[in-house]
Amino acid sequence: MENIITLSNFTIREALSRKIIVTFFAVSTFVIIVFGLLFALVPFEDLRGMVNASGDDPMDIAGEIVKGIKLFVVAPLFGGGLFLSIFSASSFIPNMLEKGSVDLIISKPVSRAQIILGKFLGGSLIVLINIAYLIISIWLLIGIKFSIWDISLLYSIFTITFTFCSLYSLIILIGVLTQSSIFAMMLSYIIFFVFSPILTARDTISVFLDSKIMETLMDILYYIIPKTSELGTLTTEIALGYGIDEYQPILTTFGFLVLVLYISIIIFSKKDY
Amino acid sequence: MSNSISVQNLTKIFESKPFGKNGITALDDVSFSIEKGIIFGLLGPNGAGKTTLIKILLGIVFPSKGTAEILDENIENWRVRKKIGYLPENHKFPNYLTGEEVIVYNAKMSGFHIDKNSPKISEVLNLVKMEKWRKTKIKKYSKGMLQRLGLAQAIVHDPEIVFLDEPTDGVDPIGRKEIRDILVELKEKGKTIFINSHLLSEVELVTDKVAILNEGKLVKFGTVDELTVDRQICEIQIENDLPEETLTLLKQNFSFSSDNHILTLEIKNNDDTNKFMDELRKNNVNILSVNQKKSSLEDTFIKSLTETKD
Repeated sequence: MENIITLSNFTIREALSRKIIVTFFAVSTFVIIVFGLLFALVPFEDLRGMVNASGDDPMDIAGEIVKGIKLFVVAPLFGGGLFLSIFSASSFIPNMLEKGSVDLIISKPVSRAQIILGKFLGGSLIVLINIAYLIISIWLLIGIKFSIWDISLLYSIFTITFTFCSLYSLIILIGVLTQSSIFAMMLSYIIFFVFSPILTARDTISVFLDSKIMETLMDILYYIIPKTSELGTLTTEIALGYGIDEYQPILTTFGFLVLVLYISIIIFSKKDY
Repeated sequence: MSNSISVQNLTKIFESKPFGKNGITALDDVSFSIEKGIIFGLLGPNGAGKTTLIKILLGIVFPSKGTAEILDENIENWRVRKKIGYLPENHKFPNYLTGEEVIVYNAKMSGFHIDKNSPKISEVLNLVKMEKWRKTKIKKYSKGMLQRLGLAQAIVHDPEIVFLDEPTDGVDPIGRKEIRDILVELKEKGKTIFINSHLLSEVELVTDKVAILNEGKLVKFGTVDELTVDRQICEIQIENDLPEETLTLLKQNFSFSSDNHILTLEIKNNDDTNKFMDELRKNNVNILSVNQKKSSLEDTFIKSLTETKD
């Protein structure tokens, strides 16, 4: 475990040196400042006065505003945050596998599985810390402004990080196989932005295709690849406090993550460098 | 004395890729053992399999056949690498780190827990004369400085065996001498040093044993003396020129040349030297010294490669 922690520490150090964490922090801080200014400038008390005149419960209205803010934060954060995270993490493995660098790491008393797990943990922690910084800050601002301390928004930290982890495991596998950060990044984006939304809507698409083979193929692909689109919807629903209706996307995506990480370790453990 | 490294029938064939060229045999049935506490030099031309051999011993490349042991542990056990230090050829440390951070990182990865304030860092950086650059980012280092730092990271965790792949590459002559002195100092502390180098004259100065690899095969193995002493040539220094009649007489029975009071005798049988000296003494020739001819390691190396080709 010590080796995994040391490796993940140095992955974080690499991210710091490449200004990945600073960029994340700057973007997150900018978003927090925008929300802070918005909350400071919009007179919530006037809105409450208007609501009182109309006869509605002011706390209900505040709750609706908070839901709107959550939607405004979580949905773009899921897409934009993951886009940036994939971009940042795609070079961790190819950088490590460069000649002269990989020799040094492998010659140390660490197993190859520990090297992969260390890189996975490091990359995932970077994203977890950044997402947590942004969401906890927004949650505090909402709490201070509206006196609503509903923790459901905080759960989205874990669902966004989990979605990243599933794609990061694929980045690691492609990195080990091809040593190409571009290829790893492209494939992750294709799954995230193209395959997953299409496959989520496969029932609707099948109606137009009218092909049993295509239908089966889409079903197989749907269960294999990470369900980022559904996890996005799930993240928003959790943040709004609706809870989880269906666990299948989480479980199958988790299965994908474990399997892909396992395959990465197996391939990395058999390769000559 | 027990062995620090033992290699048995090690073979490595890099398999061809689909539709690519045929597989390449990088190592072909190589076997040898190295005792503890010596400096061992692995020599060979480019592509001889030297780096492949080191990489197999360090678990970076997997053997196709054969086994190897380090400190009586099979190389498949990665935990044995805790006792190993390694300076790779063309190493690449993360260039955002400072000198001391490189040392801390590599020490931690070797299971040796130190921080930036540890006296061990100053000790190794002083040893390689890099202490004053410890806070400088390594992207500003010259090639020679990186080599010195590489050596420091290889020994910081006090390993029992140190593998050095071209350790003096890019280092100036004074630096090379300093590195040689460090290697001798490590040997005196009982460490085993495994050097892979092209610089034969340097290897000759510090190594106790050498192996010569060519086209993946082990063509010579032994101490520097064993490999460089040519047992078939004897050099006899005499006080005066040989009288003409003695010269003629000796030429009838022996194959030798004479040049400036040095007689170079070709030895065909074991007692040729004694018989030749008996003849000299019979003819009242004063003998000043008798030596077996010694070649340089470079001569031995080139001769070994030529013999393999033939």
